[in-house]
Amino acid sequence: MNRPPMLMHVKIRGENSNFGLWLPLFLLIPLALVVLIILSPLILIGILALWPSGWGKLALLALWAAVVSFCSLRGLKVDIQGPRESVFISVV
Amino acid sequence: MTENKKKILEMLADKKISVEDAYRLLGVIDADEGGQESTPKVEPGAKARPKYLRVNIIPDPDAVGGSGDRVNVRVPMSLIRAGIKLTSLIPAEAMDKVNGALKDKGINFDVRSVKSEDIEELIEALGELEVDVVSGRGEKVKVYVE
Repeated sequence: MNRPPMLMHVKIRGENSNFGLWLPLFLLIPLALVVLIILSPLILIGILALWPSGWGKLALLALWAAVVSFCSLRGLKVDIQGPRESVFISVV
Repeated sequence: MTENKKKILEMLADKKISVEDAYRLLGVIDADEGGQESTPKVEPGAKARPKYLRVNIIPDPDAVGGSGDRVNVRVPMSLIRAGIKLTSLIPAEAMDKVNGALKDKGINFDVRSVKSEDIEELIEALGELEVDVVSGRGEKVKVYVE
């Protein structure tokens, strides 16, 4: 698994407005971890309750897949420049 | 040099097979001959693994009615890998629906038959992908890996 991304840069330029944001993901990761730890008993109960139906395993795998997908975002770059608008997203 | 090796090199020169195929075939011949004849050794995986899928669209600057959007997208291969692996999380009922929808479109393909080994092979094969299209409107579309 890759290292999680540290920063996300979003820049949107319109005809009348400019919007730029540096999102410090490295600050959000500890926050997400804390939330995950707090919610972990509920998540565990939910998974155990759903386990006999097969959805519990799926939920667990989905949780892991979400983490892997998030970590894979590092290096993503989307740059679309139109005549009037432009969108730039970069994950580093 | 044996006849088989000559044939492989000729096929490679004629671009009938790729370098990787030639290397694999030469390796098989070497193994059959017990390594009696030496061939130049190439490190497996010497070719760098592709890291990003790039999509570039460059509009025609001379286009009538203003130029189109300039697109420059870089997608990490790890994200593609993770995305493809997400298909294993699709419930069986949904898989049946996907297969049915594909069949309706004339595609007779079972999504459940895609295995993780196939995914790795598919991503490795993407390493040689290169699409270079110039549309009628003068737009240049380039898809490649780096």
